[in-house]
Amino acid sequence: MNQLSYDLRVIWACARKEIQSALTERFATALGIFLPVNFLILFSLFALSGGLAPTAVVMADSGPLAQQFYQAMAHAHSFRLQTAGAQQAQALLQSGQIVAVVTIPAEFDTSLAAGQPVQVGVQINNLNTDFTNDIRRAVPLSISAFYAQAFPRAVTVTADEHDLLAQDTDYIPYLTVSILVIALMVGGLIQSGTAAAGEWEKATIKELLLSPASRWAITVGKMLGAFLMGLLSTGVVLLVLVLVVGVWPLHWVAVISFTLLTLLIFTAYGTLLGTLLKQRQAFVALALATSLPLFFLSGAFGPISFFSIPLLELIAKIFPVYYAIVLQQYAFHGFNLNTLSVSVNALVLAGYALAVIVLAVIVLRRTTVAN
Amino acid sequence: MTVQTSLPRRPARAAAPASGPAIELIELTKIFGRFTAVDRLSLTVQQGEIFGLLGPNGSGKTTTINMLSGLSVPTSGHVKVLGYDVRRQTRQVRQLLGAVPQETALYEELTAWTNMDFHAELFGIPAAEKKARITAMLELAQLLDRKDSRVQTFSGGMKRRLALARALLHDPKLIYLDEPTLGVDVQARRVIWDYILGLREQGKTVLITTNYLEEAEALCERLAIIDHGRLIAVDTPGHLKQTYGGRVVELETQQPLAVVDGLRALAGVLDIKQDGAHLTVNTTGAEHVVSAVVNLVSQTAELRDIAIHEPALEEIFLRLTGKALRD
Repeated sequence: MNQLSYDLRVIWACARKEIQSALTERFATALGIFLPVNFLILFSLFALSGGLAPTAVVMADSGPLAQQFYQAMAHAHSFRLQTAGAQQAQALLQSGQIVAVVTIPAEFDTSLAAGQPVQVGVQINNLNTDFTNDIRRAVPLSISAFYAQAFPRAVTVTADEHDLLAQDTDYIPYLTVSILVIALMVGGLIQSGTAAAGEWEKATIKELLLSPASRWAITVGKMLGAFLMGLLSTGVVLLVLVLVVGVWPLHWVAVISFTLLTLLIFTAYGTLLGTLLKQRQAFVALALATSLPLFFLSGAFGPISFFSIPLLELIAKIFPVYYAIVLQQYAFHGFNLNTLSVSVNALVLAGYALAVIVLAVIVLRRTTVAN
Repeated sequence: MTVQTSLPRRPARAAAPASGPAIELIELTKIFGRFTAVDRLSLTVQQGEIFGLLGPNGSGKTTTINMLSGLSVPTSGHVKVLGYDVRRQTRQVRQLLGAVPQETALYEELTAWTNMDFHAELFGIPAAEKKARITAMLELAQLLDRKDSRVQTFSGGMKRRLALARALLHDPKLIYLDEPTLGVDVQARRVIWDYILGLREQGKTVLITTNYLEEAEALCERLAIIDHGRLIAVDTPGHLKQTYGGRVVELETQQPLAVVDGLRALAGVLDIKQDGAHLTVNTTGAEHVVSAVVNLVSQTAELRDIAIHEPALEEIFLRLTGKALRD
């Protein structure tokens, strides 16, 4: 048996041992798989709850112009509309089930036809300025849109919109693709980091370090095991994304490639941090404490170039999460969020992967046991 | 039982020299910050020996064997194992070394077989031999019937036996056992001792660290007593007793003695304990002392019984280090 065969044997043995160990801890394995899915659900709920303002429309006039006004509101991308009677609408507002009541007054059509002013009543539950401001912006916009359609000659200033992309991307599909990256980050980190730190906590590290096997083969083997376990959670997240959320990728091969590359980076990061920290509890706390800020920082909700603080943009570019989000948005939706080409973004990510793997190997090579 | 191991060609299977020391520690020192764990320790262990490192907790035993196996880097000094420099030829040393750490380092969530199989893979035992060797080792450790049980279901003694079987799987020339019977009941301890004694018959060199004197006495051909990382004494248990222990004279008289002060004044008498008609006299061991004690006592009282014996190793340890072993 030559050195390469021996090293490959060690790699596979370490990977297999990682998987066997992980599978014996069923609760931890289930947690490792569903924690990333949990993030998907959590952020989707967050996006859903903050997306459209639930609003009741009281149609005191049901003429064609009133109907047209209702349609203008429906297309404003700000309301989740329902029609209601005046009393019912009040009850909904008072009970906190809706944010606003918009009342289209009686004789709406007649007054407009006569060129008389009309007041559309707007009652707002202003307990949350996020929703309140949505309503304050969207009602005048709906009025403008209605006028542009109903009385085109009366509106002399209109927007001449030219879209950069062929189609709009809804907020949820945009956000869930970013969430795939955090799922890979958390899944990869937790799986590999707890395994690496566990070797120290249980003192089994001595079995590894006292063997003649190369430290690099041991490290790579441990990473491979965690990577393969991480694929389980990745598969589940991807299935939820495609089948439940309904986001269908434009480039499947790119999705799979970038997913594997991202998982590899965070598996290596986990191994590195777990080896350094040597304690599972400390590792999990650190992993979660860094994952969430990195996620928010790295353009999960929109391009980082939209940040008003340039320093934040600079910090985001230091970490691989940013490049992973850029690449996944491309793979799913076809657009590029930065000025680098897709290949350069992918190369940057691959560079991170290589660097972290090498660093993890160096750390284990230099590791000694105090007692 | 001897098992041949075939390790990968590259790195070459380290060959153990036919003669020469198994372990050489030369001025070995390990300093952690301001704490000196091992202080210029020099020792030689011959091949085929069962050698004991004896010392209280924190005396530097485990630090010493960590440096011996390359798990820890010495601050200064050198370690050679079967002629190989541990720092420069670590892989060769590890091929020749079988280790049973204090914590056993077993994957408790996995089965006994899986633990052995993993070890076989790490040490490159050929696939064709692997199954037979694992079976043989588990049989030797009397654990074959529990091969598919998770280690976490094993008793302390079973875990120690499994760790020992695993350490022997790749047929090492030198085996170190760090506190091999720590936390093990008396019956299981006996089984482990027999197992260790069996290794000597296979020509293996065994290094044991222990703070059980009974264990050191039962197993070790030579002992090194260390304290605060320093070598206090090294010799066979018998010589240690002769050199540092002297003799203990136990006397039983018809009635309690009144000549105790006279005995205490005798040259070579270290300590006297009187319990009614029973007298225990610790002496330096010089030849004339015992007869002088007996003569003086017999002049003043009728002797009913005399017993002369060597002191326990515990007393030697106490004398050399000024403290009990498990302080």
